[in-house]
Amino acid sequence: MRDAPGINLINASVTLSGKTILHPLSLTLTEARIGIIGRNGSGKTTLLRLIAGLTPPSTGSVQINGLNPAQDRKALLAQLGILFQNPDHQILFPTVEEELAFGLIQQGHPNPAAAVQTLLAAECRSHWAKAPTHTLSQGQRHYLCLLAVLLMNPGTILLDEPFAGLDLPTKARLTRRLAALPQRLITITHAPAAVALADRVLWLDAGHIRADGPAAATIKAFTAEMARLGEQDADTHLAG
Amino acid sequence: MLTLTSPVETWAHRLPAGAKLGALTATTVLLFALKSPLALAAAATLVAAIIATGGHSFARASLAMLRPLLPFIVIVALWHLITRAPGEGAAIVLRMLAAVAAANFVTMTTRLADMIATLQRAARPLARLGLNPRTFALAIALTIRFIPVMLKRMTTLRHAWRARSPRRPGWRILMPATLAALDDAENTAEALRARGGTG
Amino acid sequence: MEKNLTHIALFAALIAVLGLVPKIDLASGVPITAQSLGIMLCGTVLGARNGAAAVLLFLFLTLCGLPLLAGGRGGFGLLASPTIGYLIGFPVAAFVAGAITTHLRANIGLASTIGAFLGGLVLLNGFGVVGMSVMLDKTLPEAALLAAPYMIGDTIKAVLAGLITQTIAAARPAALLSRR
Repeated sequence: MRDAPGINLINASVTLSGKTILHPLSLTLTEARIGIIGRNGSGKTTLLRLIAGLTPPSTGSVQINGLNPAQDRKALLAQLGILFQNPDHQILFPTVEEELAFGLIQQGHPNPAAAVQTLLAAECRSHWAKAPTHTLSQGQRHYLCLLAVLLMNPGTILLDEPFAGLDLPTKARLTRRLAALPQRLITITHAPAAVALADRVLWLDAGHIRADGPAAATIKAFTAEMARLGEQDADTHLAG
Repeated sequence: MLTLTSPVETWAHRLPAGAKLGALTATTVLLFALKSPLALAAAATLVAAIIATGGHSFARASLAMLRPLLPFIVIVALWHLITRAPGEGAAIVLRMLAAVAAANFVTMTTRLADMIATLQRAARPLARLGLNPRTFALAIALTIRFIPVMLKRMTTLRHAWRARSPRRPGWRILMPATLAALDDAENTAEALRARGGTG
Repeated sequence: MEKNLTHIALFAALIAVLGLVPKIDLASGVPITAQSLGIMLCGTVLGARNGAAAVLLFLFLTLCGLPLLAGGRGGFGLLASPTIGYLIGFPVAAFVAGAITTHLRANIGLASTIGAFLGGLVLLNGFGVVGMSVMLDKTLPEAALLAAPYMIGDTIKAVLAGLITQTIAAARPAALLSRR
């Protein structure tokens, strides 16, 4: 595994279709477990895409250990993995082994098939190899996506709402699995419980960083605000 | 969803869509009847003048819509310069530009909803051939409703590809996209049935 | 009843989206627009009637003024353009591709490839060439010259349509309307 890189945002903002989704942010992320919490629509997914280089910054710059993630794609893929929210929007291939091998093939790995077999054997799931991906249960599909990311051996993994819609046993298994990972994990979520044990939690509110510090403090402030908003009546403001 | 209707309000925006389409049909028939480059040049100038009444930004948008014709203009121009028949070439290009610009004028000055309503009315005789007007209207609504949803999903799939590959997505990305469309079709059919169906 | 309707509407949306997203890569790194591939898939996946209906619905909305044709094109100007032949050919291509996929006694991969080839390449380009011939005042062979460079790409698309249809048949056999 490579050195976990530092993530630097220097005055980075994102404006799409005339709307500023992320106001200029300057951050340095180096902790092992980082949480980014915020309401739906606060810009969390855009921030994930900004860090991952999938959306270039409208102003300022982003650096992952000195690399420009939007331009140095090949080098970045070795350093940063992404677990998207919905496995159905992430699984690209019809069988498990094809899905797992994809990233390795793209990296130019000398023997992707063998690496996939080794991983499945280590996970006691060798019988999954030829299984059609759409026959897997929801929890199994989440797991498959995580395995596909882990196979590429990144130093940092970005997770977008990793526990959304999972039943309790699946949530427990995934939590355990994630906690044991040596990679740096950056978890983006609207549910503070998912990042209660993080080293650092940032609160993103309408494209601004509203709080940034130890998990307990940020989560407390966030939860209080969410409760206050919840006591107010309807959400009538239209974004359009 | 963004349409090709110009946000700049012109006098033509107030005219009914059916009248504009009728005028367009007559104009196009006339354009294809003219053969002389001079006559077509006059016709094209007239079309351009009508477009100019929409103002500066309207005219610029109209010009931008002609850009896809550029390769054809170049090919025809070269062809007719080589075969020493520039008059014919000019006629073809002028006719093409005038006809397309006139048609675009109708599109730019008609709201989507009005155009859909007008063409739906025109399609009513097709009911005899099996095109149920209510089903047609529902199909239009469903398609418009699902384009942004599917666009978002396609973008996410592309991101998922680029998250594991330095290259642009390949043809394989059409697999999950098509399967998702099939699944959405099944789910939406169920939702429709639950709300009384189309029958 | 509802199923036909929703399949038609959703595949019309799919064709639109394939024109709205950036191009995809063919194996060789050459970028292509996936939209015409989507039209072949309407036929090979949905069958002749539903496939053609989906394409017609797509064309209807495009003509009404939505910029759904690859490159952000749309509106009535398309009917006065030299490419009008292709537009008319789209639903016919889907219909023929679907008809061959459904009725040809061969495995789904082969049938859909042949369907996509005959419908999406031969027929579609036939219509396209006639259209260009009329609009540009050229003879058919002259217009065919203009269409020729795209034939290779179209052939590859037909093969891909077959591959995709075959994979769908394996993954969701019940969903493949063309072979119910």
